Formats: sequence, C-alpha cells, structure tokens
Amino acid sequence: MSTFAPHQQKGRQPTSQRGRQSSPWSWRWGDRLVLFCAWTAGLGLCLVSAGIVIYMGYRGIEYLRPGLLFSRPAISTSQSQSGGFLDPLIGTVLLTLIGILLAGPLAVISAIWIAEYGRPSWLARVVESSIEIVAGTPDIVLALFGLSIFQLGLFAPLSFRSEAGGVFGRSFIAAGAMMSLIALPPLFAATREGLQAVPAHLREAAFALGKTRITTIRRVLLPSVRSNIATGVTLGVSRIIGDTAIVLLLLGETLHIEAQGSVPGLNVLRGTGSSLTSYVYDNSPAGEGAAPQKAYAAAFVLLLMVLALNLLVDRIGRSHQRSMGLSVPGGAI
Amino acid sequence: MNRIRRLSVALTIASALGVAAPVAASAIPTISISGATASYPLVSLLAQKYVKLKPHKVKFKIAQGGAQIGINDVASSRVSIGDSSRGPLEPPAPPAGLLFTPIAKYAICVVTNKSNPLSNLSQAELESIFTGKTRSWGQVPGATASGTVDLISRTSVAGVLTSFQTLLLGGKSVSKLASEESSEGLLRQAVENDPNGIGFLSNYAASLGTVHSVGYNGVACNKATATSEQYTGVARFYEVTLHQPKGFVASFINWITKSAAARKIIASQWIPLS
Amino acid sequence: MTAPVQYPAAGLVPFSATGPASPTGGKRAGSAGPGSSSGARRFLASLFACLRNPWPDRRAERTLGGVSLLVSASVIAMIVFVGIRAWPIFAHNGISWLGPGGNLETEIGNMQATSVNPPAAAFHLRAWPLVYGTLLTSAIAVVLGLAIAVLSSIFIVELAPARLRKVVIPVIRLLASVPSVIYGLIGVLVLVPFVGNHLVTASEKASEQNVVELTGAGLGVAAVILTVMITPIMIALICEALIAAPTSWREGAVALGLNPLRAVLAVTLRGVRPAIVAAAVLATARALGEAVMIQMVSGGRSFEPNPAAGVVFFYEPLRTLASAIVDYHEGVGAPALKATLYAFAALLLFAACVLSIGGYLVKLPLRKYQTRG
Repeated sequence: MSTFAPHQQKGRQPTSQRGRQSSPWSWRWGDRLVLFCAWTAGLGLCLVSAGIVIYMGYRGIEYLRPGLLFSRPAISTSQSQSGGFLDPLIGTVLLTLIGILLAGPLAVISAIWIAEYGRPSWLARVVESSIEIVAGTPDIVLALFGLSIFQLGLFAPLSFRSEAGGVFGRSFIAAGAMMSLIALPPLFAATREGLQAVPAHLREAAFALGKTRITTIRRVLLPSVRSNIATGVTLGVSRIIGDTAIVLLLLGETLHIEAQGSVPGLNVLRGTGSSLTSYVYDNSPAGEGAAPQKAYAAAFVLLLMVLALNLLVDRIGRSHQRSMGLSVPGGAI
Repeated sequence: MNRIRRLSVALTIASALGVAAPVAASAIPTISISGATASYPLVSLLAQKYVKLKPHKVKFKIAQGGAQIGINDVASSRVSIGDSSRGPLEPPAPPAGLLFTPIAKYAICVVTNKSNPLSNLSQAELESIFTGKTRSWGQVPGATASGTVDLISRTSVAGVLTSFQTLLLGGKSVSKLASEESSEGLLRQAVENDPNGIGFLSNYAASLGTVHSVGYNGVACNKATATSEQYTGVARFYEVTLHQPKGFVASFINWITKSAAARKIIASQWIPLS
Repeated sequence: MTAPVQYPAAGLVPFSATGPASPTGGKRAGSAGPGSSSGARRFLASLFACLRNPWPDRRAERTLGGVSLLVSASVIAMIVFVGIRAWPIFAHNGISWLGPGGNLETEIGNMQATSVNPPAAAFHLRAWPLVYGTLLTSAIAVVLGLAIAVLSSIFIVELAPARLRKVVIPVIRLLASVPSVIYGLIGVLVLVPFVGNHLVTASEKASEQNVVELTGAGLGVAAVILTVMITPIMIALICEALIAAPTSWREGAVALGLNPLRAVLAVTLRGVRPAIVAAAVLATARALGEAVMIQMVSGGRSFEPNPAAGVVFFYEPLRTLASAIVDYHEGVGAPALKATLYAFAALLLFAACVLSIGGYLVKLPLRKYQTRG
C-alpha cells in the first residue's frame, strides 16, 4: 500500500510554519466528538492488534522457545515430546514461494495490460471483474475446486498416483496453485493503482524520446511502481500465510514433509506436508485440541513472522523510493 | 536485478528445495492412508513402529482430512487404506465393496462442565436430555447446575456423532436444538467454558482433566471400564479397504490386528480390541 | 540481423530503431552466423532474437492481453465448473432452495444418509437461514467497519503525530494479515466465554430454551470479529485516497474558516467517495467469503436471529453459507451434499460478481472526483 510509504510532502509545510492552527477547544461539540472518536478508533485498533499478539504469546508461553523452530514434529501423545514445528514452518515458506512465483508475473502482466492497453474495453472489464470475483471467493470454495481439478487423471504428475490407482490430488503444487489465486487480487490491485498514479509526463517524456509503449512500461513505469508491487506482494504473501482452508484440503496434512518420487526439488513439490496454519488448526481447540499450548506458540510465531515480513517490505519499499528519487503517486507536480 | 543475481537466487531456491527434501529411496512400495484426524496419532505411531520393525519393506504416506474423506478416498482408489472413526452405515450405504477392519476401541464419554459434576446418567435420562425433552438442569437428578441445558453436539459428518447416537442414545437422534461443533476440540472447549454445557467426547479427550466425565448406566467412563467391557458406549476405529486387502497392505493390517507390539501401542492411550 | 522498425503508440517517428536504452542490454542475440548453420540453429537464434529484441507494440499488447485473458479464463472456468456441479440442486428445487421452510440440519443429515445413490427427495433444500445469516453478519460488519475505518483513516492521515503514525501503520497492517484461524481461536477462547457467562442472563437463556441455545457463540461475536478483520482493508484504501487527495481543496476550506477536522470531513471525504465505495466493496467481498472464523464462533445452528428479540438478537446462533461449506466439506463425496455445497459456492460467486459490477456502476458517476494526473 503506497499509503504506508513515507508521507508525501506535496506542498505540506512543517507544522511550525502552518500559521495559527485552531485548537480543538474552540470547535463545535460535534467536531470534538468526531475528534475523540477518530482517536479512539485509531488507538483502539492498535490495542486490539497488540492484544491478539500478546494473548497468543501468553497462552503459548509454556512451550515458547526458539528450539521449536528448528526441531521436527514427532508423533507423541504428550505435548512435551511432540517436537517442534520445523516442517510446518518450511511448508508455509514453500507454499508462499510457489504462490507468489505463480501469482506475481500473472498479476503484474494483467495489471499492465489493463492500465496501459486495455482494448477492447469490455474485455478489460471482464478481466477486472474476474479478478475481483476471485477476491470475493471464500478460500474453501477455491479449495474444493482445486481438489476436484487436481484429482483428475490429467494432473497426476502434480501429486501422486497411489498404488491403488487413483490420483491423490493433494500436494504442494496443488495447494500452491490455489494459493496463487488467493494472492493474485491484492497484487493486481496494488500494481494497477500504482500504474494509474504514475504522472502522465513520465510516459510522454519516454514517448518523446522515441520509446515504444512496451519499452516505456519495462524501463520507466515498472521501476517506478516497484514499491506498489512490493506492497502488493506483502499483501498477497500475508493472505497466503494466513490461509487455512486450502491447506487443510489440498496439502494432505502429513506431519512431516513427505516427498514423492526421486527428482530432487520436484519431489517436494509433488509431496504432501503441513503448514503453520494447519498445524495450529489441528492442534488447537479448532481441531483435535491435543496440543493446544504448542499450537498457541505456533500462532505466536506466525504473528511475529507476519509482522517481520511487513516491516521488511516496508523498509525495502522506502529505501527504493529514496534511491529512485522518484516521488510516487499523488501528483506532486 | 542483473543476470548473475537472478541466477544465484534461482540456484538458492533450487538448493533449498533439494535440502528440504529427504533423500527419496526408490522402488519401496508406499502404503497411502488418509482419513480421520482422531485416529491419525494412532495410525502414525503404528506405521512408525512397523517401519522400524521391518525396514525397507514399505513406506507410509499418512494424510488427514476426516473420516468421511478417508472413506471416499478409498472408494475412489486414491489411497489404499482409509481411517474411519465410525463403522459401516446400516443399511450399508454404498460405495459397495468397502471392508471395515476394526483395529482399536475408544469409549465415548458424556461430559459436563467442571462446575457441574454429574455422577451418573441412565440411558433414559440421557435420551431425554439429548433429544431435547429435558430442557433445564433442575429436572436432572444429581446436577448442581441450574438453568437451561446447553446441548453441544457434532456436525452430521462426524463419525463420533453416529456412534454416540447408536451406542448411547439407543439409535435416537440428537435434538435439532443442539449446537453443532465441527471438531472434538471445539466441543471440549464449548463444554469447558459453559457451566450449563453437556456434550460427548472420546475417552482420551474427556480424561485430559478440563471437563467432567459422567457415568453411564452406573458405570464410569474411562479406559479401564471400557477395556473390561463394563462400559457399553465403546466405538471402534476402522481401517477401510476396497475389497479384501492384498499384499503389503494386508500384511500391515494383519500386523496391527495380531502382533503384540501393535497391541502395546494401542493400549497406551486407546483400548485394544481384545 | 535487422531489428524490426517500431513505432510508439503516440505515432512519433523513433529516434532510432533500437534507441539508447535497448532492452537487450547491449548484447544482441548474435547473427545467425555465417552461411552454413543448420536450420535448427537458425531457428533457435531467431527465437532468441525474437525474445530479446524490443518487441513491437502490437505483439506486446497481444501477449500481455493473452496472459490476462488466461487468468480470467481460468476464473470463468471455475465459475462454470461450480455452476455445473451445483446444477442438481437447481434442477430439483428451482430457485426456491433459497427460500425458508424446512430444517437445514435434517436435510443435510438426509443427504449424508442416502450417500451414493440419493433419490430425488434427498435433494430437497431450503437454505434461507444460511442466506439470512450471511447477509446479517456481512451487513453489520461492513457498516460498523466503514465507520471505524473512516475515523481511523482520518486519525492516521490527519490527526496522528508523525511518530505515532509510524507505529500505528504497521500495527494496522498486522491486523490485516492475522490468519482467520487465530481470530477464530481468540473468539472461542476469549469472546464466546465472556459473552456466554457474563452477558447472557439465565432468564434470557431460559426464555429461548425451547427454540435455540444461547451459549455466547452467535451473531454478536461473529459480527465483532468480522468487523475487526475487514476494517484494516478499508483503512488501507481510504488512507491511500486521503493522501492522494489534493491539499488545495482542504486548504481552501480552511481558508474559508472551517477548522482542519471539519475541512477534512466536509471536503476531502466527499472527494474520496470512489475510494470509500471501493473499500466497502472489497470489504463486503471479504466478509461474504470468511469461512473458518465464522464456523468457530457462530454457534453451529442454522437459525434466523430475530431482530425483534432485543438484545438477545446478538446472542442467537447462526450459520453462514461459507461456514456451512466448511462444516460439511468432509461429506463432499455424497452426490446430494456435493451439489448442495457447490450450490452455496455458486451463490457466493454470484454475490461476488454482483458486488464487482455494482461497485463499478456506483463508481461511474463519481469519476469526476478522480484526482489522478
């Protein structure tokens, strides 16, 4: 979200030079009420957010230690012997990679086509609408759809054909493909917003120098919307990390990552595993509830991961903007 | 990003994938299993032991998804064995040709909140509560709670619900007033938090100490009474196969039902068949 | 090998065919080689040249358009697939499967029981409680969320000091990324017991005891958590629009004597109406599609909460379309249940479709507020 890039200066002067500001004490009651409500809303959301993280930490504190991140889960009937969650962690990372690698190019290309070309316009509307429809689809529907598709014989190489003859249909590729559908809309929207906000004079200058439209896109526009793409990727990745239904249905929920076949790399993609969200789901009261504190510890780790990811991408986006020297969306002319 | 950086990123990803993958042995047959989350720990422990005892004979791939999904998978030949927490439907609803082999027993206990330590319920009392005839705790002898009875049940796809209705309710259905939870954990959580709650769980979940388990027809519900067959509300975990199992699948199932090592594993937390 | 002559869309004569910023980065896909190369090598070379030399605009447009169409084609294929799988329910019930009457749990139990060869009677379905539950939770969440989002956006953009803003923004972004299973857990562990044990009185429970159970899990908790889930999305969009709105509008209002907050409310907020509409549409889509969290906290009974019941309205349990799909997804092997689940999915997809087109239509007359350059 370019909103979360550094606040644009655009003619806004430092507070000391703003002149006499009216103090809230001189406002009408209605305005003061709105001021109070705005402050409450903003700070209230912060408190809720902090509360969620702290509560998960408090609940999982018994088992919360860094060792959990590096030990593999084990089957055991007692929580103290059931190991850590290395495999679910790797599963989450793997799913995210697959999802973004599939969604990224597709989303950016669609956004470019819509924003820069988009002819005929009814076709552009169809593409935009279909991506918005995907955004509004519940993840469980995508999971059911994915399950039906990947259990067809055609897609047997993407999971595995069991010794009984049927196609298993659940694998990292299957889940990753559906995850890419989840990540597509935010990335598409962010890129399209960024492209639409690039000032016209940049394009016109490139044309004046003799560049074709596609070259302009590649050399001028794409670099200038890099922070938007980064924001979109963060949003997409957050949605992938947080998704439960697709993982439950399409990943097989095996405790360890179980590879399939003998081609290194591809065998993991074709294999089954679990992710942090399915680990939390299965072990917390949402599922069997057999290892609740471990599940809360995993949930806490998940929240920290998401927070770290957000901060990281924010940092990258900001440093890119500075290095580009470009002032992005907002019409700072 | 210049080309060298692109290549190195691609190489890093590829090597990470390679490292994450355990080295796959070739040509060992795989037994694929899918099904109930309730029996997943049991079947995983059994498979682990089997591989330890007979190394390099078979590999296992055990997925979860739910008893119903396991049965469907077996019926469509997507897996060799399905784990089920309920027996075959009567009359046997097709897909025909499914063979249910019991491997372990578990007791179904009626549970109430810890603040309501009801010691016993007869079958008639239980039926009247769960079919919605008795709606207030004041009418239940021995209950210390007061107010409305909050029935907490499972969704109709759950195997435990079918077993509960057949074994403890005499075949009657749970009232439509009951709220349906979709997993054992959620049911246990609901009963834990609601002083007026009453539900049903497997004996393991009931013995975790957060809810009170109620006696049935004068018999307490725990592993001992279930093993000695005093407690009548005992359901089974089944391994479902399409027709008679053959080959290594058959040897695995035979090992589970007959060997002493398997019996020891089952007895640790569940109830062996004999 | 000569590069094809290209003309930019503006129609200007190019400076030079390949220009100073040639995308090949100075390296060309070399010439086909003197004379004697085999046909295959020449083909490969020309293929590489085709890929590395700057593309003509027509080809680029067609390729990009093709990829975009591929994306939308797969989405349309999914919609068609869901529609086909949902057809049996429409065939047996007509459109009245959306209507009231009949007990949903009994109907689904029936579908489960008749499993593989269901008779026609097994397809009987009346899913109005689900539709009503979905509309209710989404409407409450979106309305509440919109109010909170607008206020929070004003707080972030206008009122918060810079240091506080740097803290608030990542925190709100965290809220947007929390997985729904964690929201569900917080609901089950904290909110439901609180409502059930401290807010619902025994007399209220007793008054409804022959109709429905009030355990605390119900409309209230579901709507509150759903609001918290969708508000960050709206905040992001509205903040972006507020920042992009020209300051000259606001400064003009202040010059005319409004205080700064009122200037924002009266002028800028009206100007960012397209963004608010877009935010509402996006949030509604998300609210309609939320499945896992609602399944955990909404009480697991397809019941129609009655607004006339007063406060008890917020304690009554319900089910939504998406949460019903999660509840019963295991039974997808039984054909009648499969058709039912896909029918729910088809309805949700249709709703997303309507939202998408509706949002577009609502934004059309607001085009005059476009502030982009």
